[in-house]
Amino acid sequence: MTVQIEMRNIEKHYGAFHALKNVDLDIEKGSFVALVGPSGCGKSTLLRSIAGLESITSGTLKIAGEPMQGVPPRKRDVAMVFQSYALYPHMTVEQNLTYSLRWKKVPKEERSKRAREVAETIGLTELLGRYPRELSGGQRQRVAMGRAIIRSPKAFLFDEPLSNLDASLRVQMRKEVRALHDRLGATSVYVTHDQIEAMTMADFVVVMRGGVIEQRGRPLELYDQPANKFVGGFIGSPAMNFVAAKGADDGHSIVLDGFGQETLDVGRKVEAGRPLIAGLRPEHLRIADGGTGFHLQVGTVEQTGSTTYLVNGPGDFTMVQNERTDVKEGDSVALSIDPKQVHLFDAETELRV
Amino acid sequence: MKIVTLPRLMLVLAIVLAAIYLFPLYWMYVTSLKGQSEIFANPPTFWPRDPDFSIFPETWERRHVGMFLGNSLVIGTGVTALTVLLGTGCAYVLARYRSAWIDVGLFTILMLQVLPASVMITPLYVGFNQLGLLNYPRTAVVLAASAKAIPFYIVLVRATFMNVPRELEEAALVDGNSRWGAFFFVVLPLARNGVLVLAILTFMQAFGEYIYSKSIITTQAYQPASVGLSGFLGPNSTDWNGIMAYAAMYVTPIVAIFVILQRRIVAGLTSGALK
Repeated sequence: MTVQIEMRNIEKHYGAFHALKNVDLDIEKGSFVALVGPSGCGKSTLLRSIAGLESITSGTLKIAGEPMQGVPPRKRDVAMVFQSYALYPHMTVEQNLTYSLRWKKVPKEERSKRAREVAETIGLTELLGRYPRELSGGQRQRVAMGRAIIRSPKAFLFDEPLSNLDASLRVQMRKEVRALHDRLGATSVYVTHDQIEAMTMADFVVVMRGGVIEQRGRPLELYDQPANKFVGGFIGSPAMNFVAAKGADDGHSIVLDGFGQETLDVGRKVEAGRPLIAGLRPEHLRIADGGTGFHLQVGTVEQTGSTTYLVNGPGDFTMVQNERTDVKEGDSVALSIDPKQVHLFDAETELRV
Repeated sequence: MKIVTLPRLMLVLAIVLAAIYLFPLYWMYVTSLKGQSEIFANPPTFWPRDPDFSIFPETWERRHVGMFLGNSLVIGTGVTALTVLLGTGCAYVLARYRSAWIDVGLFTILMLQVLPASVMITPLYVGFNQLGLLNYPRTAVVLAASAKAIPFYIVLVRATFMNVPRELEEAALVDGNSRWGAFFFVVLPLARNGVLVLAILTFMQAFGEYIYSKSIITTQAYQPASVGLSGFLGPNSTDWNGIMAYAAMYVTPIVAIFVILQRRIVAGLTSGALK
């Protein structure tokens, strides 16, 4: 696999604010990479740096092997889809689609031919003569996509393109965007704050926080082996429960804070007395038939039909059950914890143990 | 009952106020058509008994209205061209960058707007004299009046530019435009209405400019209509219907422009106030 976008030691300062810290990232040709993180984590800044809309303070950025230092956006041959779609309001759909071709001096007939082809791909043929204000949100989204597709660029850059759509349309567009990516064999970088979007669409997910890449990997790798407490808490919904813990005396068990003296054998070597944080995913906790040593005081019970959410116990502890239960508020339930599904993080560094 | 009648009451009030405000305009047209004795008739007549339209061609000839209006047109066009050319770029920059210096710049610009022309004219006159600009009096007036018009233009056109989303410009940059291209093909077309309206307002203001022209232009052949009109008024002036006819010929083009473009002007001034 060849690397399409190569980033080395990228730093970005806005005055005193350090927006990107030593970012190193390779994006392979043909891959779909999602950048996720809470707002202000630098994911959009990184994307805009690739597009050339932001300059980088230091480090090197290469697109298709060419260094991009000082190259303006129009010479980078990347296409971008914006959160607000950024359709030109004073141009028809066709003019919007072909705007970039105008500046590449593509002749007029060729332009309208390409516009019709793209319109067919994304199902907009009847709307070519309309203005953006006459389109629905979903149609505008498609035009924004079409405007990127028509260029066959070196990379597609998506800046939270689905966040303005309603929930059902978003699920549908997720599939369409991914299908389009596969059909075009394109390289895509996709910024989102929605980890479900990242997990379902991307080949690789890059989790960022505070301008730093916390972890990169395939979606399930991030879910199964979060590199640190932050990634563990960010990936997965509802979020992972964190419980302070300590290594037990036997060297392969832990004692969970707030659950008495009961030990949990995690089947791994754990230094006795070492302060740890145990990460327990809500969906990996079961209500035990018999008594175990772990008891949870149930606070609220939320039934959605297919799943039941139990909340509370020590520190907003959450459990998800896929079958219905008749547990009520105030009940005490016994927990069964699968030792293989317990994530351990160092209490000090918060790194995976 | 009260709820229904209150808006109606306000409407009546608005009409009455508009009537009072517009009465001089009506009186100007009517007086210009009256004969000498009827002008001073008591009680006054609200419609001329014997409208005499010959006053218009006569005044046009006798008072060189064509020449004066021509000068007003030259000054108005010059001021508008200079203001739009310099002010648009300035307004755009002030709309796109955010920093403490921009705020200082805007404040300074607004301060320029505060200074009245009658205060500015003496230093300007001295300065223009030193530079030899008084030999080109209309150019000098265009420069002075532009300096007066630009701050107002910048502040309002800046608001128009701020309504053009930044992402559109960024999309254009990624789509293959340079910064200039993005400005001319995406930002400017979208700010077109605001720029147009402000240009018209600037023109109308410059068309009626008086203080700078009166002070700087001494040769009658270069004076605009506003100064020409004041030439009527002397201690013993009696030519009231001539004055009114002159005034009517002077304001009618401006009123016509406003009526034709009024919908656009109102829309341009309120755009952005409502989303």
